[in-house]
Formats: sequence, C-alpha cells, structure tokens
Amino acid sequence: MNGLSSVFNLLAYLAAAVFVLGFLSKVVLYFKTPSPLKIPVTPAPTTSIGVVLRLIPEILFFRSLLKGGTTEKILWLGGWVFHVSFLLIVLRHLRFFTYPVPDFVMSIQQIGIWAGLVFPIALLILIVRRFTNERLAIITLFADYFVLVLITAIGATGLMLKYITRTNLVDVKAFILGLVTFSPTQMPDSTMFLIHFSLILVLLVYFPFSKLMHAWGVLISPTRVQVDNPREIRHVNPWA
Amino acid sequence: MATMEFEGQDYEVDEEGYLMDWSVWKEGMAGVMAKQDGLELGEEHWDVIKFLREYFEKYQIAPMIKILTKELKKKYGKEKGSTKYLYELYPGGPAKQACRYAGLPKPTGCV
Amino acid sequence: MADFEVPELTGEIIIPKVSPGASRHIQQFKAKPELMEELKFSAEKGSDWKEKFLLAMEDILKKYKSVRVFLDICVRCGSCADKCHYFIATGDPRNMPVYRQELMRSVYRKYFTPAGKLIGGLASAKELDDDLLDEWFTYFYQCSECRRCSVFCPYGIDTAEITMAAREIMARIGVASKYNYEIVNKAMTLGNNLGMIPVALESTWEFVEEEIEEKLEEVGITGVGVKLPVDVEGADVLLVTPSADFFAEPHIYSLEGYAKVFHQAGISWTLSTHASEGGNFGMFIGNYDHMRTINKRIWDAARDLKVKKVVAGECGHAWRAMYSFSNTLNGPFDFLKEKSPQHICELTLDLIKKGALKLDKSANDEFTVTFHDSCNVARATTIGGTPGDQFTIPREIINACCNKYVEMDPETCGEKTFCCGGGGGVLTDEVIEIRVKGAMPRMQMYSKIKESHGANFFALICAICKAQFTKVFPYYGYEMAEVGGVHQLISNALVMGAKEEV
Repeated sequence: MNGLSSVFNLLAYLAAAVFVLGFLSKVVLYFKTPSPLKIPVTPAPTTSIGVVLRLIPEILFFRSLLKGGTTEKILWLGGWVFHVSFLLIVLRHLRFFTYPVPDFVMSIQQIGIWAGLVFPIALLILIVRRFTNERLAIITLFADYFVLVLITAIGATGLMLKYITRTNLVDVKAFILGLVTFSPTQMPDSTMFLIHFSLILVLLVYFPFSKLMHAWGVLISPTRVQVDNPREIRHVNPWA
Repeated sequence: MATMEFEGQDYEVDEEGYLMDWSVWKEGMAGVMAKQDGLELGEEHWDVIKFLREYFEKYQIAPMIKILTKELKKKYGKEKGSTKYLYELYPGGPAKQACRYAGLPKPTGCV
Repeated sequence: MADFEVPELTGEIIIPKVSPGASRHIQQFKAKPELMEELKFSAEKGSDWKEKFLLAMEDILKKYKSVRVFLDICVRCGSCADKCHYFIATGDPRNMPVYRQELMRSVYRKYFTPAGKLIGGLASAKELDDDLLDEWFTYFYQCSECRRCSVFCPYGIDTAEITMAAREIMARIGVASKYNYEIVNKAMTLGNNLGMIPVALESTWEFVEEEIEEKLEEVGITGVGVKLPVDVEGADVLLVTPSADFFAEPHIYSLEGYAKVFHQAGISWTLSTHASEGGNFGMFIGNYDHMRTINKRIWDAARDLKVKKVVAGECGHAWRAMYSFSNTLNGPFDFLKEKSPQHICELTLDLIKKGALKLDKSANDEFTVTFHDSCNVARATTIGGTPGDQFTIPREIINACCNKYVEMDPETCGEKTFCCGGGGGVLTDEVIEIRVKGAMPRMQMYSKIKESHGANFFALICAICKAQFTKVFPYYGYEMAEVGGVHQLISNALVMGAKEEV
C-alpha cells in the first residue's frame, strides 16, 4: 500500500469516527435536554400511534411544506426529489460495501442511475431559489451555499466517474470493502475518485455540526412528536 | 425620568405623560395636558375626571367604561350616557386619556 | 389618526417586497430597575451584561429541548419567511420568523458551537454587542408567539419558543418590556393583570349583575336574579376568566353571557377574588417560575373554595396555560371532581346540546357573524377532547345562537389562522404601529367577507383579540362595536326565565 492510500484509509476512519461520535453525541445531548412543558402544535394527536401517523407524512412527503404557497411548492419539488434521489444513490452505492451484493441492492441499480441524473437538477433548483427569491437571498448564509456546493460537487464527481473518467470498479470495491472489513488496502488509481471520496469525507465530518442534523431533528422536534394529552397524563418537568 | 412642569414645579411622569404619583395631582394639570392635546375641557370632561378620582381613591383602579357611562347617563340622560359620547369627549380613549388628565396611572392588561 | 401609514383594505393578502429596518423603530418601553428587581431579575444592564447574558443562554439551552434543537436544525428553507403577519404587514426581514431567530442563532453559533468559535463570521456567528441586543429587544417584542410559522415549518420549529427564551435571557440582564413585566408583577401581587383589588372586583361584579337585570327589564323580563357569586365555598364551578372581562368592552358582555348560561342551566358557580385572572403573562416572557406562581392562584382558590371543577373564560393564552401547562406547573388536581379545567365553550355547547339552554336566534338577526380563530386556542390547545374541536365548538355555538354565519377565507382559518397582531405581549400602545399593521392580514379577510357577505360581527374567544381589534378596527374605518365575544352572542340569544327541567 502506498503512502497516499495509507493517509486516505486513515482519514476515512477518522471521518467516520467523527461522524458517528458527533452524531451520537448530538443525539444524546438532545435526548438529555428536557422538555419542561407540553408544546405540541395543535391540532395534534392524542396518542403515541397518532404521533407516528403524524410523523410519517412529514418524513416521507414533507407534508408541512405542502401547506405553503408557490415558493414552498417549488421548494418541495426540489427538496423532495433531492432527498429521494440522494437516498437511492446511497443505496445503489451499497454494492461497493457488500459482498456478495444483496438482491435488493442489485435490483435498484438502474433506478439509482436515474436518480444520479435527476440529482443535479434538484440541486440546481435548491441553489437557484436561494439567490433568485428576495426573502431567501436575505436568510441564506454561507453555510447554506457551502453544503449545497459540496453535495453538488460530490454528485458531479460521481457522474464523472461513471460517464467520463471511468475508474476500475474492481479496485474501488476492493478499497471500500477493505475499509469496512478493517483490512485497509490500496486506493484506486484515479484522481477523480480521490476527489469524490475526499468530498464525502468532508460531508461526513461536517454533518453532525451543521444544519444537516435536521435529519435527526425531524424525528424529535417537540412541537411535532409530543402527544397532546396534557390533561389526561401529567407531563412532569424534571427541573422544576 | 421625564417630568412635567406645572406652576413652577416639576412632577415626575412616565413615558406617556402619566403622573408617577397620583396623589400629587393638581386640578390645573388636567387643563394643561388637555391643551397640549388641543382639547378644551368642559363640564362633562370634568365630571369624568372627578368621578375617576373618586373611584380611584376607593378602588385603586379606574372604573370600567360602562360604570363611567352609567354615571354620565344619570346626570345627562341617555344621549350622553354612551361609550360613543365618551369617546367624543376623550378621543384618545376614556380610560386612557381621561386617566392621564386625572393624574391616574394608565390601566393596562388585556384592555 | 395615525402617524404611520395604515394598510389599505383590498380584500387580498399580498406578500410585500423586503424592506430592511422597516419596523426597527417600533420598540416597547423598557421596564424600570425597581420593577425588575422586584421580579428577581437583574435590576439593570450592568457592565458585566455579556457574561450574564451568556450564562442565561447556557441555562436555557440546558433546560429547553425546543430551543436547543430548533437552533441546530433550521435549514433556512424559507417556508416560514412570508407566514408571519408582522412580515406581511411591514416587509421588515427581521419579521420573517427564520430571520428573527437568526438574531439568537448567530449568538448561539458564536458562543456555543465549535465552528462559530473557530471561524466566526464565516460560520455566520455574531459577537454580542449593544446594537445586537437592541435588535433583540426590538424584534423579540415584535413576535406575538402565535406559532403560525411552526405550522409551515418542515420540522415544526416554533419561533414562540425562541422568543420566550430571548425575553427571559434579556430579563436576566435587566432588559425587559415595561408592559409585560408590570403585568406579571400585578398578577403575582394582586392576582390579576389589571391590578384590581378585591373590593374593586366585587363592586364591578355587582355592577354587572345590575346591568344584566336592567337589560332584561328593558325587554320586559323581571326578577330573574342572575348573580355573579363571589368566593362561594362549595360551588360546583370556579370560573376563571381574564380580568379584562371585568373592565373592558366588549369583554364584559361575554361575562354577562357566562353568568346567564350558569344561571339558566342551574349550575352553582363562583368567581374568586384570589384567582381573578385567567391570563398568564408569565408565559409570554418565558419565565417558568412566574408562570407557575401566577397559575398557582387558580388551584389554591379551587382547593379553598372546594369546587368540583374549574372553567376557563374566553382567553386564548389563558386556555393554553390551563389546558397545556397547568397540570405540569401545579397539578395533579386530585382534589377536584373533574381533574381537568374545562373551556367555557365546551361547557356551553354541551348545555345547548342537552337542551338546557333555550336560544332565540332572531335576537342576533342584526348580525352577520364571522369567527376569528385565536392563535393560542387554534395552535396550542384543543377545546373538546378531539383534535380540531377547538375550531368546530365555537362555530357550533355561534350557529346555535345566530341565523347568519359566514366563514372567512379557509386558508386563514383553523390552524392557519392569523394572529390578531396584539398577542404574546405586544398589546401595548407605544407599539400601536406594529399592532395596526400586524392586524392587516386578518383585516383583509374580514373586509373581503364584509364586502361579499355583509359580515358585521367579528366574534372572538380571546381577551387580547378583543382588545386588539376594538383598538385597531377604527384605524381601518370600522366600528369597534363590530368586535365581540362568542358568549356575547349567547347572552343576546339566551331566553331567560322559566325553563323546562333537563
């Protein structure tokens, strides 16, 4: 294994560790921070099952966004397509992480390719709206562009790897499998792959310390996950 | 702290010109305040002010408008015993404007 | 009438162009040091204010999951940006909920996140300074905590939580709104927001009894004897209503309505001189202890008077305090027969359905009524037992006592209702500009239904809404008499006197 490979193997483990520990520490922090009062936004479900039923369309279909006007409909389209294609792309990539590759992963290879193609379009919508809409231009921060550009770059290098500067997939798979089985091995000899891979590591490290934690937040937001039963069951404030 | 000058003496008032201490109020102050608002105080105005002071002494708060209008009604009849008439007397709101002239604190709450 | 431009009524809600700083000059008066001290906050902003500020913020971050999570997870998607009535009315970007929150989020990044500490401005982190604090004071008192933004947020981020936290942080360094903290102080010491002492309450209630009697006599009904019982031990019901109901118009007419309902249904009830306030501004200022102390009076009175249940009058945030918070703050209420407080609308509708109240709809025939959902009732509580009852119950009551009811644009009703513009501690005269403007979206919808269906009665179940709209209507050229309570309509229609057994 050459020096560069050693460095990248090490960086990969570091990034993964930062991601996992960072994410978990946030999860623990949120879990430990109490909710002193009942604050569901009503009308809210009166049972736990109801809460699950409230969350499912929020998570799967971004339901609240659909309550808004045209601006939100465009956002919904961009956002929903972005998230779904991102998921499909990640699932498609599982073929590099598994041996033998599960049938499920094999079965979504084609749809994953399509997802890779609409992915940039969705990202374009998300980026363009940020400077064409007056209100969004004001609220948008450097970090918002940073993460959009980062993900766009990941997508772009990925597409390049697939369609232009094709890489030896056997090498890629060997490298990734080496990582996940804790038997590090040589990196594929491809600059494009190196960039693609590095950007993903940046994303992993960035994730727990950024707004990307909305991925977890949507599951625990007190206004959405609390059961509206304050009269039936006494909600206790641990610090009072 | 803002002050209001009256007959050569300074009196503490709040941001909106309400006397900080209702007990130092002098009758003449009402006229001065009204003049600043471009208002001339007539007999009916004075009835309101006097009633407010009396009520406040007893209850530590201005009376509700209804009580005021009823008082006016007793004296001047139905025509003038109305909220509408009270607002004609005190366009800034009877409770709020009249209280200021009467040297009383402004009633606040969800009102 | 006004030294600012009152929005024109067109019947349409149009999202304005962004106009930075448009409402920056609208600021509440600040509380005096003596008052802050009395309320156990810092008397005034000292030289060490930044340290105290950050300590307060750290404390809140530890105690409130909502604040902690909301500060972290907002993606600035902008869904909330044009949902706030204050933004729609002023175009000031700081009134976009996300940008209002940015005032706190930028400080949070600077002092509580690694990126902010390391790279500062690049991470959009902001150092605390006097200017920023002044912006906090301006704009966190231009939020009415109505939760409308939260409805449209993909994560349910509720600016009200951030606003409450911000006000508490500022109070701890001695920077606070005079209006809000004075009211909190009055509620804590005298028991109600207006500061009425027991004799004042009693004389007012007596006056209301006379009023009811006189009005009935005018229509030829005598000897009904509707009472407003005071501190009656052993009564079945303790009614806790906003003290505005004892002072202002049209509030007082709803009080007459409650009294007549209890009388006609034969329910033994009482008012309390100790618990003479339903409202709880402790909520608006985000101070848990004060909110609890204010709320406690209700349960002390209920225990002392040995009542069977507590009923809440027409007040939005009072209902939130009683429905959502009471049980946590001062519960459980094992000493009551009915452990949960009940909303007066639920009680009245039950009685109507049971046939215990005879209503003459024609008494309200001069009115074409529309109903405005109050924010706290709509988005922070329910009235009956089922989600959504908070919308149907008041409407059912109105339909039971009025012939003509019309609905405003459904896109602005129910969970999407607009705030009156005076909620959450904004109901004070020095900020009349933001109040008049903030009412604009609702006023547009009212003018539209007025134009198309001749609406002329704007029915409410909230003391703040009532005070706000009676103040604001004249600015828009409408009569303040068009504003009234749901129980005012009941009061008009309720047939008094002999009744059949139920």
